[in-house]
Amino acid sequence: MKWQSLAVLLAQAAALAGVLGCSSDARSRGGPGGGAAGLSGASNLSSGGGGSAGSTDSACLENPTPRRSQGSVLSLPLQLVMDGKPFVFGQPNALADGGSLVPLNLRFYISEVELLRAGGQASIPVDVVTTSGVSEPYGVHFFNAEDGDSSTLRVLAPPGDYAGLSFALGIKLSCNQQTPASLTDPLTDSSQMTWPHTGGFLFLRYEGRSASADGGGSAGATSAHEIPAAVHMGGNITQELVPRVTVPGALSLPMGGRLEKSMSVVMDEIFKGATSNIDVSDVAIGLLSTPEAEAGERLRRELPALHAFVLEP
Amino acid sequence: MAEPTRSLAAGVRISLLSLGLLAGCSDGAEKAAQDGAPSLIVSTSPAGFPKGTNRDRAPADNALSLERALLGKRLFYDPQLSRTNDVSCGTCHQQQYAFADPSAISTGVDGRTGTRNAPSIVNAAWGKTFFWDGRADSLEEQAGKPIENPLEMDLPLADAVARVAADPSYAEGFQKAYGEAPSESSLQKALASFVRSLVSGMSPYDRHLRGDDSEFGPARKRGEALFQSEKVECFHCHPSGELTNEGYFNNGTYTAGGDAGRQPVSGRVGDLGKFKVPGLRNIEVTAPYMHDGSLATLDDVLEQYAAGGRGDPTTDPLIEPFALSSDEKADLLEFLRSLTDPALLADPRFAP
Repeated sequence: MKWQSLAVLLAQAAALAGVLGCSSDARSRGGPGGGAAGLSGASNLSSGGGGSAGSTDSACLENPTPRRSQGSVLSLPLQLVMDGKPFVFGQPNALADGGSLVPLNLRFYISEVELLRAGGQASIPVDVVTTSGVSEPYGVHFFNAEDGDSSTLRVLAPPGDYAGLSFALGIKLSCNQQTPASLTDPLTDSSQMTWPHTGGFLFLRYEGRSASADGGGSAGATSAHEIPAAVHMGGNITQELVPRVTVPGALSLPMGGRLEKSMSVVMDEIFKGATSNIDVSDVAIGLLSTPEAEAGERLRRELPALHAFVLEP
Repeated sequence: MAEPTRSLAAGVRISLLSLGLLAGCSDGAEKAAQDGAPSLIVSTSPAGFPKGTNRDRAPADNALSLERALLGKRLFYDPQLSRTNDVSCGTCHQQQYAFADPSAISTGVDGRTGTRNAPSIVNAAWGKTFFWDGRADSLEEQAGKPIENPLEMDLPLADAVARVAADPSYAEGFQKAYGEAPSESSLQKALASFVRSLVSGMSPYDRHLRGDDSEFGPARKRGEALFQSEKVECFHCHPSGELTNEGYFNNGTYTAGGDAGRQPVSGRVGDLGKFKVPGLRNIEVTAPYMHDGSLATLDDVLEQYAAGGRGDPTTDPLIEPFALSSDEKADLLEFLRSLTDPALLADPRFAP
């Protein structure tokens, strides 16, 4: 695809729209001078072991067509844990080595949720919904540890017995290709998930500050893994690279009712994936030249094999 | 050699604005302003900003209208809103400095000094939270706080309302704008409406984003590329377009014992020394910089970032030292100068 040409066309169209009066969404992704700058290295990205989500509903719609108008609500408060204990955002969390870790930023997108059925039956795509039961914009749930209102994932599903759920930890390609200025929350720059070098959004963002037992700076570690200072996991706008997560566990959704279970976000596993020994040198050019981006790419590839999300109890 | 930032006369820009060429549309009734001058209110949006014009961003209970913005403008420049009758909002938010204050720390009533630098309030219509520490969730909420702050205007809102209510012309203005006598709520709403009218969207950078590079030459393009690069990592907090992610970060200005920033508002230890990321439109004229006005020039700002901040361990992990050649620094500065919108700085619609 000739992205340079597309960028020029977009710029021309946007300029014309500006003259005509209303739209100013002229920015193309990729930063300097248009949309192409960030893409030279992106084509080298491999889907690796990432288990691409492979969306079937390809359009990026702010108001997605609901799959169903009624059903049961599955409500899943997301709880951060590390070393088997609550992981408190913005506060010092004790580390096994005697030090502490203060998480400064933790955000991620969840989309394309499906409920799993036993016996190898096809999974059931479900709608990600708000507290009032309407579809979330773009069918995306945005978890932001700074915002308590974002801590619960809700889906509207047919009642029945399920064997767990799966979801894309990120957003689908058609949304990833859009400019933030043409979208609304949670797909705007204020999500802090934009990443101009790839021309796409981050799928997960983490930053934290560790201190050693004597109060000095430290890389930090859980009981089993090192802790990176930052993890920026994303993809690019040319390939469907969003990883898919499977979370097994019995879910019985009552007829016309709701089921509330919690889902742990296991930070140990996030850090384990981000510090794994996977060689990401095949993409270690340009946009992925930083430690946080390399950590993110390791996590993206490892995620399907991790237990980063766990249904409780 | 610096590229031109002021090659178009303000009057020409204003003419463009009145014709609706500033990437926006003007409501017909409001565009037809008094004496043939452009309306104070033009529904518009700078390039690359989030969806919606300044009018769209107004809350349902304070829809943007000419009457409300004009009332807010009068209040904005009225020293009656200070206890001593000599400090107005416009004292610290001066148009020629993109509605920022050239003093590091602003001076309020009785010569009292505050604690932070008065930031630019241009394009605040797209803001999500306000003040350096984000303690206000709306422009309406923000508008009342400096009036009551003992270090700024030091006047209870009830007293401010009483003062304006005693003026028949104000009473008439409130009646036209809000259908009621002056109240604390309507006073704050009117001020917020004027602030929402302050849109800067005709800088060379804005036009560049719209496809017009006539004032965005090679140096500015190189500077933009550097700004967006992992080398200097400006984009993490200042993404292309709005040039702010509306977040809070400890950018390395905080030092032990200093202004705690966001922490007292959120109660989180991790927010120590975090301050709101400002948008960068007109950054060239809003010196001095940072929440405390401690950096006099943009060159100083680049030097601090290149050093990885001032060394406090609470500094954000993404703030890391980098090396810039003199050419790279010149390009970055040239890019930052491309964010200046001369028309805004002299636009008579926003003047007292």
